[in-house]
Amino acid sequence: MAKLYVQAVQPADLNKNTEWFMYPGVWTTYILILFFSWLLVLSVFGCTPGMAWTLVNLAHFATTYHFFHWKKGTPFADDQGMYNRLTWWEQMDNGKQLTRNRKFLTVVPLVLYLIASHTTDYQHPMLFLNTIAVVVLVVAKLPNMHKVRIFGINAGN
Amino acid sequence: MVRLPYTTALTTLFSYGLLFAFGQLRDFFRKLIDWFKAKNVKGYAPICLGLEDFYVRRLYLRIQDCFGRPIASAPDAWFDVVERYSNDSNKTLKRTSNTTRCLNLGSYNYLGFAAADEYCTPLVIESLKKYSPSTCSVRVDGGTTKLHNELEELVARFVGKPSAILFGMGYVTNSAIIPCLVGKGGLIISDSLNHNSIVNGARGSGATVRVFQHNSPAHLEEVLREQIAFGQPRTRRPWKKIIVIVEGIYSMEGELCKLPEIIAVCKKYKAYTYLDEAHSIGAVGQSGRGVCELLGVDPADVDIMMGTFTKSFGSCGGYIAASREIIQHLKMSCPAHLYATSMSPPAVQQVISAIKVILGEDGSNRGAQKLARIRENSNFFRSELKKMGFEVLGDNDSPVMPIMLYNPAKIPAFSRECLRQKVAVVTVAFPATPLLLARARICISASHTREDLMKALDVISRVGDLVGIKYFPAEPPKIAEADHDKLE
Repeated sequence: MAKLYVQAVQPADLNKNTEWFMYPGVWTTYILILFFSWLLVLSVFGCTPGMAWTLVNLAHFATTYHFFHWKKGTPFADDQGMYNRLTWWEQMDNGKQLTRNRKFLTVVPLVLYLIASHTTDYQHPMLFLNTIAVVVLVVAKLPNMHKVRIFGINAGN
Repeated sequence: MVRLPYTTALTTLFSYGLLFAFGQLRDFFRKLIDWFKAKNVKGYAPICLGLEDFYVRRLYLRIQDCFGRPIASAPDAWFDVVERYSNDSNKTLKRTSNTTRCLNLGSYNYLGFAAADEYCTPLVIESLKKYSPSTCSVRVDGGTTKLHNELEELVARFVGKPSAILFGMGYVTNSAIIPCLVGKGGLIISDSLNHNSIVNGARGSGATVRVFQHNSPAHLEEVLREQIAFGQPRTRRPWKKIIVIVEGIYSMEGELCKLPEIIAVCKKYKAYTYLDEAHSIGAVGQSGRGVCELLGVDPADVDIMMGTFTKSFGSCGGYIAASREIIQHLKMSCPAHLYATSMSPPAVQQVISAIKVILGEDGSNRGAQKLARIRENSNFFRSELKKMGFEVLGDNDSPVMPIMLYNPAKIPAFSRECLRQKVAVVTVAFPATPLLLARARICISASHTREDLMKALDVISRVGDLVGIKYFPAEPPKIAEADHDKLE
């Protein structure tokens, strides 16, 4: 099998917490993880495909909200706490809005929502839960929400 | 610029994701279990936030036995590595009194001065008896001996600058000098892969720091133009001064800096240049004078040249070589000169003797032999590794060659298996390198014989097959001459 080679250019990003996202293969890995977790849910629970997509969507909501928009700072002490007030989403691309990576990450929950609601035939309560997931995630990723803490939630150090 | 197979990129990202997920799971359960344990530090803030040392606790400690291995002899071509064991899956390591004799591919012993040398060692022992191990004083008080003055003149002559100043530690040379050269209102433009000492010095200086893409004079010009036009951050005033910091050989990539082009760009925009030759002084160049000699750059074009004595000269400490006025200013203002203990006299003597050997002033041609040997060894080793199908970074003539591993699991696999076969390699992972680009770094020395290199190649090839890091197709064994750049 012929191996496809990709060039990995070292990006000039000083923040090592977000720099890994600029390497080739990240988007594909993300999509493949979602797809394989759907297969996993289907095989473990034996439910309908639509239910499985809903579960994947909700699990995706919980994980990405926690790691992108709730946890602040970086998992290593090298940068001396420079980013301790910023969530991962706010650190991405050095705070520049509407870059390609950010647009991709905003589109993924939308596509997941469409797949989940289509495969469940738009029935409640799945539709309600899926809608909450997509609304919260997309609003959190809007450029106007950069460094905004509603009602001071998550503003503590 | 590295080329990796697409599937490797995917599996590496997936492995890191899995390690991260498991780490988070363990942290979660630890928090749950500790909820009920009484805390005995009432009212005090925690020393470190739980999430700040996540990487150290959950990723680094798992493979801790691959880093920081203690050695029990001088770091010559062959040395003794102390065996360690752990009873709690690598959280703590205990030393035994057994040692293994291993081939040393990790020490920065470029010219072979790290172990006893027939010219240097007797002189060093003599100076130890005469001057004692430490001057017990600061340079400005009573810590300047005849040896220190002699070495400063010798270094200046060797490097090709009017004068030089010494420091006791290489790291400190960068991190204490940069704040003396530029302060608030100045601009530092540094290569994106510069060493941590430069990053620390730049942060500590208070100047604005900008980064340009590694080894790219075009991007440097872009950054310079943008910054000069923009001016200081809020006031838009012109910058007080601009310093561009680059390294001679980048220790994690093994590649040489594009010095002539970068100097041309800096001259065009009137920026000062600072060249860190920690790995290249003494190891490259026709007579060992570093990248300036190798690439044909006049030392007078580089404003400040920095280097260390740890790599090619077998000692410890660092130096800065520049014009008389700059060195005079540094002697008055640099805290590492005014308040730090001076270099140990035997260490100074070691450097003096090593430089004399390199220059041929000890009356033999061992210096030229060593330089020729390290060049031969590096080129031979690099071309053989590339022929086997490994992804090796670095330019020809550079004695540092990283072999790419990528997957986090291959780091301990490669390291432990090589140690089992009596070859000691240094593996480097995050945060010294970018997250996905973990590598094993080989440093070739002039004291490696051809048999040592063949044994190393044999072991690395077998371990590489086991671990699966031959990412490029191997060249079939040919009877004709080797062509180096087939896989470039």
